[in-house]
Order: sequence, then structure tokens, then C-alpha cells
Amino acid sequence: MQRPTSSLAMLALLAPAVLMVGLLFVYPLGMSLTYAFHNELTGGWDLGNFSKAFALYGGDIALTAGVTVLSTALVGVLSIAIAGYLTLGENQRAVAILGWIYRWPLFIPFVVAAQLMRTFLAKNGMLNNTLMSLGLVDPLNAVSLLDWRGVVITFVWKQLPFATLLICGAMAAMDRSMIESARGLGAGRLRALLEIVLPQVQATVWVALILSFVTMLSALSVPMMVIAGSPTMLTVDMAWRVNSYGDYGVANALGFVSFTMSGVAAWFYLRQGLRDGRPPK
Amino acid sequence: MKPFQRALSLSIALALGSLSLSAQAQVTLNVISGGSQNMVDYVTDYLGPLFEKQNPGVKVSVVGTGPDDAGSQKMLEKLQAQKAAGLATWDTDVIVPNQQKTGEMVQAGLLLKYRDSISTGKYAVSQSAKQALGVNVDGYVMPMFESQTALAYNPDLIKNPPASYDELRSFVAKNPKSFGYNGLKGGMSGVAFVVGWMYAYGGNPDVVQQGPYDAKAQAGWKKAFTDLKAFNQQVVFTPGNAGTLDMLNRGEIAMGPVWVDMFHTWQAEGRLAPNLKLKLLSPGMPGQPYYYAIPAKAKNVELAKKFIALATSPAVQAEGIVKRFNWYPGIDANVVKSSLDAKTWNQLFVDVTPTDLAKFSKPFPLAPFFKDMREQYEAQVQN
Repeated sequence: MQRPTSSLAMLALLAPAVLMVGLLFVYPLGMSLTYAFHNELTGGWDLGNFSKAFALYGGDIALTAGVTVLSTALVGVLSIAIAGYLTLGENQRAVAILGWIYRWPLFIPFVVAAQLMRTFLAKNGMLNNTLMSLGLVDPLNAVSLLDWRGVVITFVWKQLPFATLLICGAMAAMDRSMIESARGLGAGRLRALLEIVLPQVQATVWVALILSFVTMLSALSVPMMVIAGSPTMLTVDMAWRVNSYGDYGVANALGFVSFTMSGVAAWFYLRQGLRDGRPPK
Repeated sequence: MKPFQRALSLSIALALGSLSLSAQAQVTLNVISGGSQNMVDYVTDYLGPLFEKQNPGVKVSVVGTGPDDAGSQKMLEKLQAQKAAGLATWDTDVIVPNQQKTGEMVQAGLLLKYRDSISTGKYAVSQSAKQALGVNVDGYVMPMFESQTALAYNPDLIKNPPASYDELRSFVAKNPKSFGYNGLKGGMSGVAFVVGWMYAYGGNPDVVQQGPYDAKAQAGWKKAFTDLKAFNQQVVFTPGNAGTLDMLNRGEIAMGPVWVDMFHTWQAEGRLAPNLKLKLLSPGMPGQPYYYAIPAKAKNVELAKKFIALATSPAVQAEGIVKRFNWYPGIDANVVKSSLDAKTWNQLFVDVTPTDLAKFSKPFPLAPFFKDMREQYEAQVQN
């Protein structure tokens, strides 16, 4: 069989995928970003949608940025800790149990996770009831965590196994001789993790965190179900503008803001790939 | 013709023939329903099978688009897209939209004026059968049911529940964090509470409900929203309609606004403590119907009319709407009453009496007022 080496054949093979991405992703994205600047009342082009978006939802934009950055940071710290223990841990039983258990949330959809947290984090929910029965919390002082804190907890719980899985894989692929010589020379496990292991898997850590950041930025069900009242996250506001007012202008403007945030993450992602001199993972 | 070609053409002809035969035998009536899952289940489990039994060869297919404005907005956009594409027939036969979007659909010329041609049309006597938030929908709709918001409360914690917004305010001032509602974005019961507040304190409730639209009628809104912002400091925000009921049930709040039908259904299913009760606040809280409507270019118009006539017949309204779902009937209650036993009828009106309903059940505001109200709440109360 002859291999399709001509560029024409290559193009023909690529065309369906390119067409698909172009029609179903690039075109609507372009429309949405363009129409963020369209004033539906006058029919002209201006920044009216953006001024309304910032006036009504400025707090929500800040909250969205804060919640996603904080969640990403927590995911980073915790996933490195878990992956580090799985790589460097010496108690084989603990490593086996942790390795078995940490993946569970990966199989739970966001909407189910949100519903779990709704009953878990409520004022009289499972968390507070457990703390009360242990005598750690006074029933009168129990607080509901169903606000931005609940969203952070849900996001971290849900994204942690994803990041850990990637980082763990990278750590497992490392040459162990360096770790062992460092340990042999008397480095503690924490020091070996931070100074020997982490620098070598740094690229994977960034990729895991950036992908988690973008996933959390786009989740609608979690803030919708967990946050009671306001401020809330941008995805909820976008759905609200469209559903209640049929107002695509402001929704597009909010989408533009959200896209800018993920654009920053995408820039880091691409830069990472270019620096390594190969396509990003 | 070679034998192979003959066999091929024969089998194609057979296949086409059987297709057209089965098309004759099987007509699908496409229904799109807004509202929560229970409204979709109503058609799947009860109304659809009943209609299929009476009309052999017809299959009722129902799709749910979700509650509140969001679900009905999807229908609106679907019909608009088919109209813009210039299709001769549209793929939807019956829709069940909420009030606001129905008005918009009538204004956009997306619906068929069908009510006078069905036998149950004469039972559509309520105000909401004629007006949907200020839009004249007379003839285009049959109400499926009427729903009402009311204050649900825990009588173990509150012996004398507040009877008006004024009493509620003084109660909440003395007992902070005992009242909860789901704000503006968490579902319609929260929106209804805000609208009731504006009827009580915003001034000009009649203009806001009946029109004509005049921005000057909003003179008193600023003060009302400022008061509401202060009131909100002493309340608990709940995650959604179901969240309010959950929190009531767990004893985290002592009262909150809910949909009456959801309250009764949850109680009947044992998901809510049996002692919880309802109270309709003065000067009024809003309710809203869901409508049956037919898209302007529906494919099976006659069948759709037949379906709606069945759905709005006194017997089905009694059995399906009142008995199974604890909704108030969409058609004239007097013709439904005779199809129901006294016990079921009275159960519907235990906490909220017919007199309460007549006095304190209000419509939502005219669409333009409603939009202003929600946007000003976002700007002045939430920010």
C-alpha cells in the first residue's frame, strides 16, 4: 500500500476535523465575541454591554476570578502532596489505600458533586452534624458553607484526582536514581519532593493546573446549586441574562470576560509548550 | 432487468411501501413541556397514555425543557428559528410554556389562535386565560393549571405566622435568620416574594399588574428596594425552590416562600414534615399558570386540538391536575368540583382558602415592569 505523502492527501484527511472545529467551535465563538460589542437597541457597535456587565456583575467577575484561582492553587498544593506521597511514601499499605481511594471523585459528574455538597455542607448537613456529635461545634454556632466556600470545596474535591493522576504519572515516569541518591545523602522526603521531584515534573503540574482552571471556570451546575444568593459566578449570570431577559448582548460580554480569563491560562499553556521545544501535552 | 436489479428494486419498493404504511398507522404528536420534571412526567405517565388509548395509531412524544423562563425561552427560540428558516410545517404540535414567554410568542406571531374551536374552550374563564403579563393572549391559550406561591412555615417554631408583609418584617426584625428565600436567580418562588414585596411597598400595584406601562409608576421603587436590601441582611438565602423546602425541613429556617403545589406534593410523598403549613401573605403574592398552546405552523393541528381538549376536560383536570399534582385547576373550578370527591377538593384549600386566593392571589407584573423590577433588584439590592 502506498502511503499518502502528498500534501493534497494530507489536507483531505485533515479537512473534516478542521471543518468541524471551524463550524462548531471557531465560528460560534467568533460570533459570540463579536456580538458582545453589538448594541441591540441602537443596532450600532459600542461598549454598552460591557458597562452594564461590569455595573451589575462586577462583584461576580471578581468572585469568579478569586474562586477559580484559589481552587486551582489548592488543587496544586494537595495534588502535589498526594502524588508525592504515592511516589515517595514508605508505608506500602498506606500508599496502596491512598492510590485506590484518591481517584473516586473523578467518576462523579459535577452536577452530582454539587448535589452531594448541598446536603453535606448545609447548616444542618452531614459535616456539621458530625462535628456537633463529636462536640467540636456548638449547634447554635454552626454555619452553612453554601456560598463561595462551598464552591471552592466542591471544585477542589472534584478536580483533585484529575490533577493528581497527571502529576502522579509524570512522577512515576521519572528516573528514581536521583531520588534515591538524594535520600541516601540524607535528604528528608519533603526536601526530596520539593527540590528533586517537583522541578522535574513542573511542566506536567502546570498543564494539570491550567486544565483544571479552565474546567472550573466553565462549570455552571456547581455555583448554581451550591451558592445561595449573591454574589455568584459568571456562568450563572450568563444563563440568567439569556433565560430571563433574552439578552444575549450582556451574556456575550460576560462570555468575553470569561474567555479572557481562560485566554490567560491558554497563553501560559502554549508558552510552556514552546519553552519545552515541543507541542504542549 | 437483471435478476439482481429486479430484486433490488423490488426490495426498495417494499421498504418504501412498508414505511408509508407505518407512517399512516403511526402519527407522532410532538409535545414540548416547560416546567419541572413533574410536568413532563404528567404527560409521559398519565396524559399521553390516556390520549394514545383514545386515539389508536397516535404516539405522544414529550420533551421537557426545564422550569421557569429558561425552559420556555428554549421553545421560543426553537419556534423562532423555524419561522426564520421559512419552514412550511414546524416539528412541534403542542407546547406548554410559562406566562412571560407565551406573551412574547403571541407578539412574535408564533402561536395559533385555536381556543374557540375546541369544546373545552368555554371553560377558560380566568383572567390569565386572557392576559399574560399584560399581553392579550385571549384565544391562543388554555391554562393547564394555576400555581400559587405562599409562605410555608413550621408551626412548632412559629405559633402565630405573619399574615402580611408588614408583620413578616417585624417578625424578621425580632427573629433574624428565621426566614429564608432564594433571591432572584434561584427560581420563581424567590422572584414571587420580591414581586409581592414591590406590590406591598413599591406603590401603584394596579398599574404594575394591569398597565398601561409607564416608567413614572416606578417612583416608589427606590425606597422599596432600599428597605428590601435592609431586610435581606436579616434573612437566609436558600439554594433554589427545593432548597427552601429542604432548609425548612431540616429546621434551618422557620419559614420561606414556596410553590403551593410543590409543597403539597413533597408532603404527600413524605419528603416534607407533615406538620408544616402554608400562609398567603396580604396584600398578595403572585401565582402563575402554565399554558397549552399550538405553534402557528404545527404539523398535526387537529390532533393537537384534540389533545388539549382532553387535557382541559373537567375529568382530566380533576384526576390529573388536582388529585395527582395538587395544582389548582386551569379551567373553571366549578366544573372541576363536580368531578372530585369532597375530601380531595377540601384538601387543596386547607391552609390557603378560596377566599384567601380570591383576595391575595396576584398576577406577575406586566412584562416591561417585570423586566425593570428584576434589573433594579440586581442593581440596587444585590450590588
